[in-house]
Amino acid sequence: MSKDNIPLWSPEHLPLLPQRLVEMILANLGAPEWLVSISGFMVAASTVLAVFMTAFALLSLIERKTLARAQNRIGPNRAGWFGILQPVADGIKMLTKEDIVPARAVKLLHLLAPILIVLPAILALGVIPYGREWTPVPLELGLLFFFAVGSMTELSVFMAGWASGSKFPMLGAMRAISQMVSYELPLIITALGVVMVSGTLSLPEIVQQQGGGFWHWNVCTPWGIVAGLLFYVCTIAEANRCPFDLPEGESEIVAGHMTEYSGFKYALFFMGEYLGLFAIAGLFVTLFLGGWQAPLPGLGLVPTWLWFFGKLALVIFSYLWIRATFPRLRIDQLMRFAWLCMIPMALLTLPAAAIWHYMGRGPLSWMVVLPLVLVPWVLVAVIFNKRLAPATRTYRFADG
Amino acid sequence: MASLLILSPLVLLAALGAVWMARPVHAALLLALALALNAVLYLAMGADFIGLVQFAVYVGAVAVLIVFSLLITRQSDETEEIARRPKALVPGLLCTLPVLAVLLITASKVPAASDEAPALPLKKLGEILFTTHAPAVLAVAVLLTAVLIGAALFARETKPNDP
Repeated sequence: MSKDNIPLWSPEHLPLLPQRLVEMILANLGAPEWLVSISGFMVAASTVLAVFMTAFALLSLIERKTLARAQNRIGPNRAGWFGILQPVADGIKMLTKEDIVPARAVKLLHLLAPILIVLPAILALGVIPYGREWTPVPLELGLLFFFAVGSMTELSVFMAGWASGSKFPMLGAMRAISQMVSYELPLIITALGVVMVSGTLSLPEIVQQQGGGFWHWNVCTPWGIVAGLLFYVCTIAEANRCPFDLPEGESEIVAGHMTEYSGFKYALFFMGEYLGLFAIAGLFVTLFLGGWQAPLPGLGLVPTWLWFFGKLALVIFSYLWIRATFPRLRIDQLMRFAWLCMIPMALLTLPAAAIWHYMGRGPLSWMVVLPLVLVPWVLVAVIFNKRLAPATRTYRFADG
Repeated sequence: MASLLILSPLVLLAALGAVWMARPVHAALLLALALALNAVLYLAMGADFIGLVQFAVYVGAVAVLIVFSLLITRQSDETEEIARRPKALVPGLLCTLPVLAVLLITASKVPAASDEAPALPLKKLGEILFTTHAPAVLAVAVLLTAVLIGAALFARETKPNDP
């Protein structure tokens, strides 16, 4: 990509503008090559951070507003019009709170944990292609990088839970780790199907291959709809969101591994959680919903990154909707669902994706692949509902 | 070269710490640090794929498993420390020395490192792994399956009263 013949102000390149400007200014000042490229990278990273920090602040408000609407309340409406200044008020409150470290805590690990929770989320955000021209770090092994970095979260959660030296954080950490390990398996296996069909680990390349209308998106293939659904459920579990929010279920174990944190460290946990949510939802959009590709051909005028963020907003809104609708699972239900339903189904998508890859797109492969995933899906659902569901409860006094 | 000089002492320090720490959790976390630094070492040497896999598998899976088993089996006594037994040195050395010998023999056979790392595209790597080295992959797969079945057998609760 040569930088000279691209219009600086076109809407498509708008997110790259800060990086370009800094690079141009530095180059004109006669700065050495390495300084220019490093500054460019840092500005690109700051752009992504700025975008998602704003989104984080907005989401914290939108989530409360949406939940309030779903529960027939008004929600925050005191700070600014429509409660728009609520995130600012929250931020000031968090920053001015006392930072409490429990006496029995392991000081160094207690301090490191919140930092190490935010770090992987930010790193993971760096490899996602947000637009045709806007991939902060276009790694060839982007998907692998995403999962490698994401796997660090479990250790940070453990550090937070263990270093706090108290019971609730410990229980929360145990729940969180077992849940993350269980749901990471189907998450990665379903992503593997996409890798098999695309033949690459590079996220921009995967998006590139889904171009030409929504029927080319991976979710619109027989294996893709199954893999996409599984992946979607796993993203909710990985982000520790309702109905999989047992690690921090308020009514059971206070706040899980974050119980002993206060002030800005607590805010860091929240930040890590929301940034991780953006990252994993962004990966879902990238792998299955066509990333920045427009849903219909002929919509070239709209900048591609708008499509990406539109899809991201829809996915995030669906999370909020689910949170407002579903009750929390119990830990044994959660684990049983992961190991007996999700993982077998995820494994089944692999041969389906392989057959799809070799037969190519067409009615014949639809006829072969669709039954291959649909029949076991129905079977597993039936078995899961009948044999493995907990026995019907009997109430001695209430039934009658 | 500079990265090697900076990183390898750090890896060694973390690994030594993992051995010498008195509390099991500290040892496990330092082990995770050593494994992560190893991944960074691979990345610094230009082996992107193996570095990321090292990170995902060892930091993401192995270290988490160790930590998790510590969580489950931990005694109520929080200050439990690992007892150091001088006698354990003998079996330890018996295990370590053959591994070290094999490593040294292999290292002596490999041609001296050139400045330019050979570029191996991921596709090529996959092809080699699943054609030339397919028997090894299959053997590992069988071994892992056996381990999994064994673990499931051990983990199965035996309730004599339950049907």
